[in-house]
Amino acid sequence: MKFAIESIKKNSGRLGKLRIKDSGPELRTPLLLQTTKGGSIPWLSSDVFESHVSRKPQVLQFTLSTMDQMAEALAQWNIGGGRGLSDYVGLPGHLNILLLRDPCETTPSGGNDRDIQPLFTRRGKESLTPERYMEMVASFKPDIYQGLCDADTNLESAKKRVQKSVDRTEKFMHYVYENRANVESTLLAPIVGGYNTFARTQSIKHAREQPAGSYGGYILEGFHTNGLSATTLDSSKLLPIVEHCVKQLEEDKPRIMPGAFAPLTILELIRQGVDVFDTSYAYCASMNFKALTFSFVQDTKEHVPFLDITDDVIKEDFSPPMNNCSCLTCQKHTRAYLHHLYKTNELLGPILLMVHNLHHYITFFETIRESVAKDKLPELTELVKNQNTKSQVDYSIAVNTKVITKATMGKGFAAAAV
Amino acid sequence: IPPLTYKVVAECSVSKARAGLMTLRHSEVNTPVFMPVGTQGTLKGILPDQLIELNCQILLGNTYHLGLRPGIDTLKKAGGLHKFMGWPRAILTDSGGFQMVSLLQLAEIDEHGVNFRSPFDNSQCMLTPEHSIQIQNAIGADIMMQLDDVVKTTTTGPRVEEAMERTIRWVDRCIEAHARDDDQSLFPIVQGGLDVPLRQRCVSALMERQVRGFAVGGLSGGESKHDFWRMVDVCTGYLPRDKPRYLMGVGFAADLVVCVALGIDMFDCVFPTRTARFGCALVDSGQLNLKQPKYKLDMEPIDQKCHCSTCKRYTRSYLHHIATNESVSCSLLSIHNIAYQLRLMGSMRQAIQRDEFPQFVKDFMAKHFKTDPIPAWIREALAAVNIQLPADPEKEDQDLEKKTKAEKRQETENVAEEQVATS
Ligand SMILES: [Zn+2]
Ligand SMILES: [Zn+2]
Repeated sequence: MKFAIESIKKNSGRLGKLRIKDSGPELRTPLLLQTTKGGSIPWLSSDVFESHVSRKPQVLQFTLSTMDQMAEALAQWNIGGGRGLSDYVGLPGHLNILLLRDPCETTPSGGNDRDIQPLFTRRGKESLTPERYMEMVASFKPDIYQGLCDADTNLESAKKRVQKSVDRTEKFMHYVYENRANVESTLLAPIVGGYNTFARTQSIKHAREQPAGSYGGYILEGFHTNGLSATTLDSSKLLPIVEHCVKQLEEDKPRIMPGAFAPLTILELIRQGVDVFDTSYAYCASMNFKALTFSFVQDTKEHVPFLDITDDVIKEDFSPPMNNCSCLTCQKHTRAYLHHLYKTNELLGPILLMVHNLHHYITFFETIRESVAKDKLPELTELVKNQNTKSQVDYSIAVNTKVITKATMGKGFAAAAV
Repeated sequence: IPPLTYKVVAECSVSKARAGLMTLRHSEVNTPVFMPVGTQGTLKGILPDQLIELNCQILLGNTYHLGLRPGIDTLKKAGGLHKFMGWPRAILTDSGGFQMVSLLQLAEIDEHGVNFRSPFDNSQCMLTPEHSIQIQNAIGADIMMQLDDVVKTTTTGPRVEEAMERTIRWVDRCIEAHARDDDQSLFPIVQGGLDVPLRQRCVSALMERQVRGFAVGGLSGGESKHDFWRMVDVCTGYLPRDKPRYLMGVGFAADLVVCVALGIDMFDCVFPTRTARFGCALVDSGQLNLKQPKYKLDMEPIDQKCHCSTCKRYTRSYLHHIATNESVSCSLLSIHNIAYQLRLMGSMRQAIQRDEFPQFVKDFMAKHFKTDPIPAWIREALAAVNIQLPADPEKEDQDLEKKTKAEKRQETENVAEEQVATS
């Protein structure tokens, strides 16, 4: 993996070029990873994703907590070089990165035994030893993988828990560093330590002690416990600790921060020097029936961050979810139709929402890169913050009481009516 | 130009099978055709663009569901269902009566219409033939169905005759109420239970009405397969050659092949999309339940020969892992299953046009049943239209036959369940 900084600006963060594979495309940071569940872009088949969201090669963010049951099949699939992990999930030509935790769902707390890292999967809690973890990485053969770590901390964590997460991570990583030669994938050094500067420094120190070339980048975790918890982070608490970490990291390695951060938080983190994010925020919005409508194009109109699909006022609103959006959903469908799909619990509802939300979010990141290049991130931040209104808009996502779950997936109105 | 024209393009020189071209306001439709069911203004997890990619020409919508949600006012304001759901091609709607009777336990039928309690506020409501047509006029489907008097296929005695006679009286009320005859075509429904003379009488009465096509109703609801094919055969025997014939609620592959041989042009069934939700993929030999452990390490596509977007990209192994877990699996399997149904119909059309349909039927049955004996009703039905299937390769083992019978019974029960659970 090759990473080169193009520019660093005091107020706009950094612009970089990332080449994950020699034969692969050169990607630009700040970069958006495509969050997946069970290996698929949530709700979208590969042809829908490629026809209606993005034709460009993406970096798929796979998570062991939603794919661990595929380890045996992947070991067989990858025998003798094989076709690769992205091919297996129906998305050939895309790069990939393997993480432990699903940023879309809240990771349960606890279960941190001395030598075992809990992995919360659909089937319950699995126990990962460093040995087992490295075996799975060898089976999956991702382009990039994260180091095994205990990231079970957030703003409320007691000092003792934070210290434990650092100690346990260090222990796991001893094994990972020693055995990393057994896998070809690029390793990301995990940085944990909650909101504690001392613990963070210790975690960074352990990574920086490793011989040169031990890892290709950093993954910063332990600020939130995934799911909606990342959408409501308090910037005044988050940014100082991130700043504390970033200034101790090697500059020529990319910094990845997974989680469903609000758009404003993303911009603030980019200014701090974080390079790589993911689309879990777009997922969380779709899951809770919100179309992203925040504006990142300079104009004088007032904008709202979301369109609430569950709101009865759009029952007969035949306008597109968002004006001036070129996505399939906005070109061919109406707010009224999305509302109907929500009311009838139809699967096409989240599909159309996800198409729009991903399209919107990917365009947002294109705008971010332009703004960073022109050193205009503060202006963009101001727009995203207030949306041309007099006060700061609220980007947090509340749980919708009626979400598409597996239990309701198959039942239409009929079941509810009878 | 009338809103529906139909012409027979080719006829099988042996059986009653025919290939036709039906031209509707929104699409041309090559028959025989399978119509996927998009109950509530959407086909389970599939984009309209994807359906067009699959060369789907006509969809079915359910009047009962659409009348409740989004409701007639909204559909009218949207300019009809085509615009509301963003589907540019043809749509057919049912009358709403069948679903009402099957979904709402308290529905009762009298001469005025179907009485039911509103699922929202429990108030007493009535769906009359006129009301059904008004709703269907608002939906704006290319083809609509009359409200018919539905009785269980297993019902016997005078109630069956009453239902048949009432269905004929109701078609006149429907024709009278139909306000958009220049855009939409109303099909009457042949009723008459499992009684040959009643079916005959119904067909001849309906043929006196000015209609552009016919539906065959009241079948595929738990009757024996023997009765089923005979009723289809009787109806197609009397229906006019120059109008399309629609057999309601039939969609298993073997049934489709038999009923095309008997002269049916149009079919619908929720089965392909419903079975997809449970992780099942349709193939010539039946269906693969991808949840089974044997597919865990199977790196083949569902079907090597299938050109659908699912088979192009996904292995059985990956689908095994995500089936019923990730909702995208529902879309992926629905795409394949609809592609399968549409391809099957396309192959039949081609075979009819080349006048090779009897051979197609023989090849299909051999692939479909493999070493299992071909059910007697299929042999009889096909023999009735001069297609003689070769004898089963091995002497039928008694246990095997018993097992097959049990399976078939199960299948029939499933169909009945499908009908009730259409949603
Ligand atoms: Zn859009
Ligand atoms: Zn296929």
